[in-house]
Amino acid sequence: MRFVRYLQHWLGGTGAHLQVTDFVPVMDPIRQWADTFPWATLVSAIEQSFEKRFPTQSKRGRRPVPIRVLLALELLKHELGASDEDICHRFRTDFAVMYACGLQVYQINPSQAHFVLPETLCEFRGRIDEALMDELIAIQAAAAMEAGLVSPAHLVLDTFPCEQGSQRVTDATTLYKAQKKP
Amino acid sequence: MRGFGRSCRGHGHVFVKLVRQTEQQLLERGKPIATFAQQAQARLAQTTVLPDTQRERLTHALTTAMSHHEQIRTQSKWLTQGKKLRHCKVVNAYDPTIAPIIKGKSNCPAQFGRKPGIVSEPATGFIFANLTPQGNPSDPSYGRPLIDKVQSAIERVQTGPKRQIHSVAGDLGFNDPLLRHTLHQRGILTVGIPKTIEPIEPHPSAQEVLDILNGAGLNRKRTPHQVHLACASGYSRPVVESHIASLLSRGAGQVRYKGHPGAVVQLGMTVMAHNGAVVVRICQQHLSKRAQKFRRLLGLRHRKINEINNPKN
Repeated sequence: MRFVRYLQHWLGGTGAHLQVTDFVPVMDPIRQWADTFPWATLVSAIEQSFEKRFPTQSKRGRRPVPIRVLLALELLKHELGASDEDICHRFRTDFAVMYACGLQVYQINPSQAHFVLPETLCEFRGRIDEALMDELIAIQAAAAMEAGLVSPAHLVLDTFPCEQGSQRVTDATTLYKAQKKP
Repeated sequence: MRGFGRSCRGHGHVFVKLVRQTEQQLLERGKPIATFAQQAQARLAQTTVLPDTQRERLTHALTTAMSHHEQIRTQSKWLTQGKKLRHCKVVNAYDPTIAPIIKGKSNCPAQFGRKPGIVSEPATGFIFANLTPQGNPSDPSYGRPLIDKVQSAIERVQTGPKRQIHSVAGDLGFNDPLLRHTLHQRGILTVGIPKTIEPIEPHPSAQEVLDILNGAGLNRKRTPHQVHLACASGYSRPVVESHIASLLSRGAGQVRYKGHPGAVVQLGMTVMAHNGAVVVRICQQHLSKRAQKFRRLLGLRHRKINEINNPKN
């Protein structure tokens, strides 16, 4: 049952195929926001970094959740001010979020509770280091400069304080950590 | 007993003697910890009962705890001897990279956390790079790494004319001769970084422009037009605050991910999400009159989103 929860919708489903773009208007804020990112370059940079730092030992096992989906969810989380669980839940039900994550077709499968679990998102985040993060921002800036939207000619520097929030440790987190430890 | 703080913020009283005595007792009691930890480390290395992964994890945790303990112990010794603590003291035993951020507030409750730096375009608020250092370094130390990051982004641009940084502006905190010298060497004007509390002249005369160029040693590298633009854009607190407010609205005010790597990821993702929203605003022409004029002067034109990114959604 636990394995079934991890299955992604594009591996299964028996219902009709729906075109995600048909359900998201062109002027939808999430759609417009998602269209500004150079996804292909960003995903390729992450793949290269992960291949170097976390080489796959074996080709066996199920297919991973696409990096495009995880990156889009992580960015959407900050854009919408949602938690990991909220954004994963919206990904299951919201067509605009599906569009932002690059899903083209949705196959109806009411029995499936999740597309991506919050734990997967957390693991993805844990693999991103400072060098990769800087590279992603540089790629986004370069894309905007290439498109002639922004210019680095005149810049402003500044700093701002942000406090360290506490990590809420719930019973569920403790149980998950205990199960995960070898 | 010692009191501190302004009356308007409520006095805080500290029993200095009691704190020192308690600290002394704790130090005495914690003395053998270092020896115990070394013994534990040696036994952990020899053990064959535990699997490799678990042993590795425990060794890592023990090494981290030992280093943190040493730092805290040193700090406590300073406290018992009545010496002044260093600027970047340990405030969280589990994360020594957190520092008190005391900025322009004397004898007031200090914020604990991080102080990220950003470098943005004043017209639109697009953030080219951010930096989340460990502790609470001085403002001028942000200048060079941030400019380096922008330079690396510029080098990634493959089409169109060669982009250059003409000028950098900042508040009085960035007024550092070394930073100015470094920027001048790279051909960047520092007219936007004030030297005094006097406001920068937004419309300098021809003589003043010449003086600025000669002072920076960029007479042949930068044009008077670029100096005029640098003076006009300058440093505006409300403009920068609006960029920061946009980040804060996306949750940058409180770092929720763990440790320094977590802070880097959270702030990086927030910056990217903010930049996406900025690009949408540019494409929809939702910019202030000042920003539109500035963009016209820089030769930037209106584009549609579909031209930036060929969506494959």
